[in-house]
Amino acid sequence: MLTVALPKGALLKDSISLLQSVGLDFSAFLDSANRQLQIQDPTGKAQALLVRTHDVPVYVEYGQAQLGIAGYDVIREKKPQVAHLIDLGYGRCRMSVAVKASSPYRSAVELPTNSRVASKFVHCAREYFDSIDLPVEIVPLYGSVELGPITGMSEAIVDLVSTGRTLRENGLIEIEILYESTARLIAHPLSYRLNTDNLSEVIEKIRSHILAAV
Amino acid sequence: MVYQSPAGARDLLPLDVAQKRWIEERLQQVFHRWGYHRIITSTLEHLDTLMAGGAVQRSQLIQLQSDEGEIGLRPELTASIARTAVTRMAGALYPQRLYYNANVFRRASSTHHNQQQEFYQAGVELLGAQGWLADAEILLLLAECMQELSLNNWCLILGEAGIARSLLSTFPANLREQVRYAIAHLDRITLETLPLSREECDRALMMLDLRGHPADVLQKIASLDLETPQAEALHRLKSLIALLNECFPVSSSQSTTSSPIILDLSLIQTFDYYTGIVFKVVSNTTYPARIIGQGGRYDQLLGLYHPQAETVSGIGFSLNIEDLHQVLLPSQQLPHATPTSNWLVIPETPQAYTAAFAYAAKLRASQHLVRVEMDLGDSDPDTIREYARHRRIQQIAWIKSEGLPSIESITSTKSLLSPSQ
Repeated sequence: MLTVALPKGALLKDSISLLQSVGLDFSAFLDSANRQLQIQDPTGKAQALLVRTHDVPVYVEYGQAQLGIAGYDVIREKKPQVAHLIDLGYGRCRMSVAVKASSPYRSAVELPTNSRVASKFVHCAREYFDSIDLPVEIVPLYGSVELGPITGMSEAIVDLVSTGRTLRENGLIEIEILYESTARLIAHPLSYRLNTDNLSEVIEKIRSHILAAV
Repeated sequence: MVYQSPAGARDLLPLDVAQKRWIEERLQQVFHRWGYHRIITSTLEHLDTLMAGGAVQRSQLIQLQSDEGEIGLRPELTASIARTAVTRMAGALYPQRLYYNANVFRRASSTHHNQQQEFYQAGVELLGAQGWLADAEILLLLAECMQELSLNNWCLILGEAGIARSLLSTFPANLREQVRYAIAHLDRITLETLPLSREECDRALMMLDLRGHPADVLQKIASLDLETPQAEALHRLKSLIALLNECFPVSSSQSTTSSPIILDLSLIQTFDYYTGIVFKVVSNTTYPARIIGQGGRYDQLLGLYHPQAETVSGIGFSLNIEDLHQVLLPSQQLPHATPTSNWLVIPETPQAYTAAFAYAAKLRASQHLVRVEMDLGDSDPDTIREYARHRRIQQIAWIKSEGLPSIESITSTKSLLSPSQ
């Protein structure tokens, strides 16, 4: 059966309404009383897995889900072996470098060598600072990254910014944008080549829906 | 202190070995029937040898400390066979039909903890044979391997590196590698964002999805602007597919709706290793589908190893024994247990030792394989009978001091199980 991996959190609602528009109803995941992590579409055509956003590419790479929806930020961080099919357009945010507003730094290259940078996106942060040839120590964190500069543990952070409100309220400012991120439709490469469960039909429906919305 | 094996290493216990050998022996029988000869090359190679073809990166290799320059464990066999063919077998009569059954090593990627590092592969290399008839031999040999393993639900994803390369050559030189990388990785989003002209972008997207039923795909390729060598390659591909459709064992096309071949022009590599057909063997038995083998034509590879750069064409495939094992496990075909001994010989006293070994030797000398165990301890007769029952040994021979045997049949308590073993 066609299986889709869906990300918990910010992208879930839009992802579910997108799939609804192509005839796959997983809205049961939005019911606050729901505790199930694997549900079937009422028509019995497909099923969905509810997983942490970082785990979506994992289920798709191993083929347990033929399709998945994940943010470009997560895909770029994990570099999974998956097919990158459609930029879905929603979940727009940017990966940025931020520092305390009171600090003297106004661009990433001004950061002192060997300063500390806290991030959930360790590979991304490493890649960026390598690209500007600035040796820094990356401090891996799992959340509330803003506390890094506030407590003085790190000079800067690399994190996702959507409205910028969290940064402002914590006295931080963005000094560099690494890239823009949106939700992406990804697929298990072998299932895509084999067209398992008539995957291409669902993908085409999603593509036409996205194109029509633009 | 507890001695553990390194991360990603695996020990094969007797039952694992029995099952692995079951698979390998069947493959070997097919290889022999097609006139292939086994070659055993060195597990260790210079890194230069392993990487010469461009398909293997340093990061994938397990390197070893040595006084002899950089050496490492082979991640596949074709490089070693190519090296040995042009240096050690110079002047040999072609075609050469070679097969191997060996372990290969790949360094685990940093993101996959404890990923397996040692694998087993069985495969063939057909050297010195150009033309689509040789391609057909390899694919029909492959199909016979599948049949021999009673694997019915499999398919072949078949590409053509030469045609794909020529289609790629029409893209602007500065973007060609990016287009190639994106197609190889099924990255449609990148193709759509590269600074290509409308028409180039459409062509790239068309290439990305140039796959499906062979007849449809061949028709699509024929409608493209092809230069003479590619038109010829297309003609060869057509002939090959027509022949395969006639010759493939009927059982492999059991999925009635489609042929076991998916023609896929997006099946390309980011390096120039393959020069003609390239393919993956996929088993649909398990969920999700699993790649159980891969191969292709490499007409330039041997030249890289030849002192005067004289090349010899080559084509081959390798089957992944672990993947085959996983696919075959649910089918109940693999042995469920290690073979049982037929006899247990027990010297009743120290004076009977010589006679017991002599009697065991007599039993073993049978024309057919007879498995005979010696009892080595001072156990009492009931314990010995219990042991024999437990091991499903059906006959035991008590050897008296004067050397005379007394034979006893053991009826298994689990008699329902024993006949099938």
